[in-house]
Amino acid sequence: MNILSTIIFLPIIAALFIILLGRTKVRSGYNLALLVSFVVFALSLYIGIGFDPGLNQFQFIEQVNWISSFNIQYHLGIDGISYPLILLTTLLTPLVILTSKTSPKDKYHQYLASFLILEGLMIGVFTSLDGLLFYIFWESMLIPMFIIIGIWGGNNRVYATVKFFLYTFLGSIFLLIAIIYLYFQTGGYAITDFHTIPLTMNEQVFIFLAFFLAFAVKIPMWPVHTWLPDAHVEAPTGGSVILAAVLLKMGAYGFLRFSLPITPDASAYFSPFILVLSLIAIVYIGLVAIAQMDMKKLIAYSSIAHMGFVTIGMFVIFGLDNSLIHTEIKSLAMTGAIVQMISHGLISAALFLCIGVMYDRLHTRQISDYGGVINSMPKFAALMVFFGLANAALPGTSGFVGEFIVILASFQINPWVAVFAATTLIIGAVYTLWLIKRVIYGQTSNQKVEGMTEMTTIEAIPLVILALLVLLLGFWPAPLIEIMSTSVENLVNHIAHSKL
Amino acid sequence: MMLEQIKLLMPEIIIATGICTMVLSSSIKIISSKLISQIIAAVTLMAATASAIFLLPSESQYLFDYQVIIDPLTSGLRISSYVIVLIVIFGTDVNEKINQNELFLIELFATLGISIICSAANLLIIYLGLEILALSLYTLVASNKHSIESTEAGMKFFILGAIASAVFLYGISLIYGTYGTLNIHEINSIDSTNTLETQIALGFLLCGIAFKFGAIPFHTWVPDAYQGASTSAALFLSTAPKIAAFALLYRILIDGFMAISETWTIMIQVLGILSLILGNLIAISQTNMKRLLGYSAIGHVGFIFLGISTGTKNGLESSLFYVLIYVLMMITAFMSLEVLSSKKHKVELISDLKGLNNSHPWFALIMLFVMFSMIGIPPFAGFFAKWSILTSLIDANMIYTAIIAIVMSVVAAFYYLRVVWYIYFEKTELSISQIGSSSLQQITVSCVGLFLLFLGLMPKPLLDFCTKIISSKLLID
Repeated sequence: MNILSTIIFLPIIAALFIILLGRTKVRSGYNLALLVSFVVFALSLYIGIGFDPGLNQFQFIEQVNWISSFNIQYHLGIDGISYPLILLTTLLTPLVILTSKTSPKDKYHQYLASFLILEGLMIGVFTSLDGLLFYIFWESMLIPMFIIIGIWGGNNRVYATVKFFLYTFLGSIFLLIAIIYLYFQTGGYAITDFHTIPLTMNEQVFIFLAFFLAFAVKIPMWPVHTWLPDAHVEAPTGGSVILAAVLLKMGAYGFLRFSLPITPDASAYFSPFILVLSLIAIVYIGLVAIAQMDMKKLIAYSSIAHMGFVTIGMFVIFGLDNSLIHTEIKSLAMTGAIVQMISHGLISAALFLCIGVMYDRLHTRQISDYGGVINSMPKFAALMVFFGLANAALPGTSGFVGEFIVILASFQINPWVAVFAATTLIIGAVYTLWLIKRVIYGQTSNQKVEGMTEMTTIEAIPLVILALLVLLLGFWPAPLIEIMSTSVENLVNHIAHSKL
Repeated sequence: MMLEQIKLLMPEIIIATGICTMVLSSSIKIISSKLISQIIAAVTLMAATASAIFLLPSESQYLFDYQVIIDPLTSGLRISSYVIVLIVIFGTDVNEKINQNELFLIELFATLGISIICSAANLLIIYLGLEILALSLYTLVASNKHSIESTEAGMKFFILGAIASAVFLYGISLIYGTYGTLNIHEINSIDSTNTLETQIALGFLLCGIAFKFGAIPFHTWVPDAYQGASTSAALFLSTAPKIAAFALLYRILIDGFMAISETWTIMIQVLGILSLILGNLIAISQTNMKRLLGYSAIGHVGFIFLGISTGTKNGLESSLFYVLIYVLMMITAFMSLEVLSSKKHKVELISDLKGLNNSHPWFALIMLFVMFSMIGIPPFAGFFAKWSILTSLIDANMIYTAIIAIVMSVVAAFYYLRVVWYIYFEKTELSISQIGSSSLQQITVSCVGLFLLFLGLMPKPLLDFCTKIISSKLLID
């Protein structure tokens, strides 16, 4: 059975059915969406049974000739780097669909269909092994996201969604140029061929910059991050969750799958530049987050800061001086980056869900409108505080593991990078804990907060699941690290060889 | 021998017969109706398509002393233009008052002109086809007699078109003076030096071609004609003639003047870049839907010209591919406007589309397909059109031109997105409630819209079709 194609196209086909069911049968549409997204999650877990983490190659390969005159293949496969991201995607989609029921929506069937289509396309991005196929999934993802923010977003949604679209479109279209250029070098679109083709330094610099525009906008890195706070603030809760948890990871995945292995020498050349940008993201954007008055905006800025760790982990391996770096340390840094990706996916998703729970009751995101939520919603407050602490990288949560590994590895490579990166432990604690203090604790200043009812079971289920996963990865990250270790080692070894 | 040769012109003969039949039938009062005309037009085009497919040649063949050429390109372009016109005819609203019998007649005449251009191998024959097409188009634009705008647009189009034709004709006369022949076949075989006279003559011919495409700076008629013409007329105007323009360009530049390609590639490239930049920038400020499509057409022509300016086989193939997909997108866009218009609610401005997703989710979805296809977002056909042009540009080492092209397509994304946002994100009391179109129109527009998605998933057949019909030995691989 072609299981990868199944988990890509099952949600998309289900989405078509839901649209056909129309707005009169929303109830069955919702049930179908929930069922399909759970089935897809189950299937992606089932992949894990057959997945061999020790195998040094892509698995579950599917390959069909698609456009033979240009040697474009429908080529899918997964390795230890993409599999955890697929699991993250398939886990979050059912949770988002489950919670979407709590807030009534206009044209609900289109909402459900958009998320299912988005899920299929996201899995497509993580499984494509053909450059053009990757680009097609990567780019078509913009359509459902544009619609999700635009229809079900806040007051300023049109501005936010158009900005999101144009920003990411401008970045990713350079990716297309680079992919076509590589096609003429290799005679095909296979990403694995791109990895092995020798390229001159000039070519590498050109290709790296094209990739960088696409991926840096998506991550997003400072200074091309300005679309993210707007998109997050205006998007509906589900949109924010998917945006923060999965879409941002695609930029990082792009670096892992394209930039680093295809242009290793240019990556080394640009690594100081990227490290500086990442440190600016961690320190400066962290400070910006402190000043935010809007809860979603605050979490959005904190996402940018946390993604800074991912880029540090990926690019610190080149070192800043020419000293020889042990492969194990490189693997450690890379592992830290990927753990941070997954961990941030869980934590930011949970925080956006928490904000959604409060927003559904009070219809405001301003921090100053809250205060003393713990009095009316004690159980919810406990979960929110837990995720806040995880966001501030408390030991015992997954947030700690990723950041700690990255700091540990970079300290051995360049202590200065580690020192600046470690300031996040303070800054992150400041903005998160201060948020918690103002929203959850303190006196109930707003009359309406007293009337907030405790969260319902449907709201609680996703938060509890995410809390358990955050704890699990915090105390026992070994399974996750084991899944990716071979692929990471392989990648690090590959990068170590110059292509010149 | 003669009969054999005439057989190859069967499609043109069928169309001419169809025209005569239609003229006769409309003059007999009992059977004179728009429906009859529509049926005659449709049957004629189907027969012509069938005969063109039946006569598909494997190699090029000259008729009548090198005046007419029948090669794979001729057949390919003929078939595509017949199919396009057939879709246009299916998509025309017979109940609309301003669409008279003559509409179908004029459209058949124009198709005859296109067909002649596709198979001409002599500059005068090309001019003949061009004038048949142009005169039909002037009439078509002005055919909405009760609208001042339509008359104005027709007048403007006619005057500018006449000047363009004169310039084109002057170019032909210069060519005759320099080469001593008008047969393209002979022009190509004469080992001409790249003299000033040939350059000027070529420049004049290019002006004529650029006018037909509506490339900047010969574009001024495009938005006015699109806006002034009735939607049914604009539907024709914006689509099938582009195929003729491609044929014109191919016959003259590739078949005739490939030897001095360095002269014209640079001209085409300049025209292409200008059209891309200005067309897309001006489109941003448009509020009228048809004008918006007009300026967007200019931007698309920029892409088509860039593909041609590479002067390679790949470039020509990708340009043809782009032309065909462009035509399909424009058909869907204009036909959607026509389908959504009713007597009460004319869709003219972009804001007239507000809240379409509430009242007609299916047509909203079709519009979404078209708009994202025009931006070049996969999985729609427009993506592969842009991709193929970019591929040929990078192949020809024109990376900076490719970067200009993609940056402008991001600019273009803005105004296409605005259409989507009016349809999906804006709410209004005065949304389109009743649509007055026939079910034939609705089915046609749905099919073409879905075809855009299908081509985005399976572009291979159309890509292979383009490879097959661009088979000139003059082009380098």
